[in-house]
Amino acid sequence: IYIYFSVVKKVRLPSVPATLLKRRKKAIDQKRKDLKKFAKVLKSRGVKRTETFRKAEKYIKEYRLKENQEIRLKRNAKKKGAVVVPGEARLAFVIRIRGINQVHPKVRKVLQLFRLLQINNGVFVKLNKATIMMLRIAEPYISWGYPNLKTVKDLVYKRGFAKVNKQRVPLVSNTLISKYLGRRGIICMEDIVHEIFTVGRHFTSVTNFLWPFQLNNPTGGWRKKTNHFVEGGDFGNRENQINCLLRRMI
Amino acid sequence: MATVNARPLVSVHQDGTVTASSISLPAIFRAPIRPDVVNFVHDQIAKNTRQPYAVSKDAGHQTSAESWGTGRAVARIPRVRGGGTHRSGQGAFGNMCRGGRMFAPTRVWRRWHRKVNVTQRRYAMVSAIAASGSPALVMSKGHIIHETPEVPLVVGDKVEEAKTTKEAMMFLRKCRAWSDVLKVYKSKRFRAGVGKMRNRRRIQRTGPLIVYNKDQGLVKAFRGIPGADTIQVKRLNLLKLAPGGHVGRFVIWTESAFRKLDKLYGTWRKPSKLKTNYNLPTPKMTNTDLMRIIQSDEIQNVIKRPNRKVLRRTPKLNPLTNKKYMGKLNPYANVERKLAQYNQKIKIERKEILRKKKAGELPAKISKEEKARTAIPPKKKEPREKVEPKKIKYIGKKMKRTKKPKSGDAAAKKGKLQKAPLKPGKPKPGASKGVKTGKTKPLPSKDSKTGKAKPLSSKDGKTGKAKPLPSKDGKTKKTKPLPSKDGKTKKTKPLPTKDGKTGGTKPVPSKAKQVGKPKGETAKAATAKPATSKPATPKSATSKPSQPKSTPKKDAKPTPKQDKPKQAASKK
Repeated sequence: IYIYFSVVKKVRLPSVPATLLKRRKKAIDQKRKDLKKFAKVLKSRGVKRTETFRKAEKYIKEYRLKENQEIRLKRNAKKKGAVVVPGEARLAFVIRIRGINQVHPKVRKVLQLFRLLQINNGVFVKLNKATIMMLRIAEPYISWGYPNLKTVKDLVYKRGFAKVNKQRVPLVSNTLISKYLGRRGIICMEDIVHEIFTVGRHFTSVTNFLWPFQLNNPTGGWRKKTNHFVEGGDFGNRENQINCLLRRMI
Repeated sequence: MATVNARPLVSVHQDGTVTASSISLPAIFRAPIRPDVVNFVHDQIAKNTRQPYAVSKDAGHQTSAESWGTGRAVARIPRVRGGGTHRSGQGAFGNMCRGGRMFAPTRVWRRWHRKVNVTQRRYAMVSAIAASGSPALVMSKGHIIHETPEVPLVVGDKVEEAKTTKEAMMFLRKCRAWSDVLKVYKSKRFRAGVGKMRNRRRIQRTGPLIVYNKDQGLVKAFRGIPGADTIQVKRLNLLKLAPGGHVGRFVIWTESAFRKLDKLYGTWRKPSKLKTNYNLPTPKMTNTDLMRIIQSDEIQNVIKRPNRKVLRRTPKLNPLTNKKYMGKLNPYANVERKLAQYNQKIKIERKEILRKKKAGELPAKISKEEKARTAIPPKKKEPREKVEPKKIKYIGKKMKRTKKPKSGDAAAKKGKLQKAPLKPGKPKPGASKGVKTGKTKPLPSKDSKTGKAKPLSSKDGKTGKAKPLPSKDGKTKKTKPLPSKDGKTKKTKPLPTKDGKTGGTKPVPSKAKQVGKPKGETAKAATAKPATSKPATPKSATSKPSQPKSTPKKDAKPTPKQDKPKQAASKK
């Protein structure tokens, strides 16, 4: 026969003021809530990250496809003995070459409209009849051309700043981008690059979101700012040569 | 600070002991203590006992001086008339002149006294009395009340009848208020400054204040005790209750005086009886315990959480040079980079091959066999000598070599779900399922030291079949054994296998078993060879369990397992 004695100990709880206990309980509850919230946040972050990954992947395919198509067309044409006339450039990068003094009012206005308010400022511009005419007006003050993918990428990654609350804020993370351009479907840097390079539907929103690029003076120097590129100088449309220049300015 | 309604009992002390009688604390002691009001009122009231001072009204003007004007090579100050004395021609009247009047001579009609509103005066009074009921404030004023039995100290009326200073002293001793008086004694000193010669030579501290109702000798008795002051309760004086404009004087109340306070100043419920139209000042806050208020449930449940987040400037780093930072912005960047590196490598190799071709080091056209050989990493058709696999430290789960190989379908399925590694034959930029690039570049040869291709590991760490070699992720769930020189692979790849066959892969037979029985079985095999070489094939059909393990390649080699049943059969 086993007799179990249950010893009831009179445990004296430590006397803790009620406010402290309340505070502790609150803290614990809050912590639990916070963890839940954070779990959600982490999840969404993960989702976003995979999204950006897939998008980047997709874009690379797209760019490559485009490139190869071009090449293919050329080759086919060559075979047949025909000529391929490539489409006119839709994207331009415009740099202000000259300073702010003694500028003709018309030119001044055009530069203002392009947000080129400082020397060595650059912006992406969609090329159409209207903008081309504007560029013509401001020609002696700007150097422009058709940037390639690398240029666009480098500009956005290295020199990319956002206009947030009228402030020039560096593009430090994708959350910033998704916050302001999310509703346009642009959530990461690659999206921005894609939108600019392919001159998409939301080109204006994206370029407006970006602060005008502040570039360095080119290493190796200018040729002659006072002449057109064609004349051995620097201003005006230099088409693809802009990439060389920008490599030295970014 | 206690709430308005809490009114404790104050016991009356007599001859050093507590008497039976106790009085509930008068409401005045719960009134708001406003040191600012007290200070202001004290300043104003202190001016009221001033005696005027001024210089003589005709000082400096008791001359008939007149200015000599210009042209006399002297200053234009009025000069004393006449002659025959030093004084003649001297400057007069001006404050700068010797014997002239001072600038702005002081006048008696200066406003010496100040009016203070009655209610304001009473407010200050009430504050001062309330402060005297707080031991903290009394102590901070500097009174020695460590030994006093109670604050406010209420004493029996017997002291009102004290006749001699001795009695007064004994009383204070019994009250334990004597140490305060002692402090006064010790503080007797000369005044610093010119006041010494202006009949204000000595100064001392203030001691206890005795408030009485009826003077039956008390005033005269306490006259001789330095520092001690006496006051009748009906004529309380702010200058005595808050000397220097600072609250917290040590007050000793007689019982009858104490009882009068409620009548004098009223309680909030009842106005004062002895003052017309007066009631105690209402405090701005009923509960001044700020900490308690803040910690109360009502407030704690409503307030927002403290924002301890410190927003710091995140420095912008150049993603073109900083890989980590680039990865943060573009998680695909790593893949891109590795792909680019890989492609470059391939390009270089191809160039090298072309160069060699041109130079004649390589044949211009490579035979099919050669192509086949070089395109795919060489797989030795003859089974190698059984070599114990190197004991490599696997990161993650250890692969058990003794296990049965899983069915081909399951492996294939699994393989497809995971990220496919890049084969040398087919560079794929997108390492996810279903991704197909436009081009597949067949390579002539590749550095075939590694039996497998390098898997492009994404930054996510989803390296399905990554090498167990330095993976910083550590997230590789299943590590594959190194592409060993044996060519043993446990798991099959989803991509076209080395055979060149797609789809379901055949399980590679576990050589482990065969490895496990090298010596014993080889001996058997050696002996059994001549006997079983021919009948091995028909009997392979009979022995079923061993069949799935054998590939067509290995039919030539007699399996040791087949010997057993045969032997058993033979024995039978």
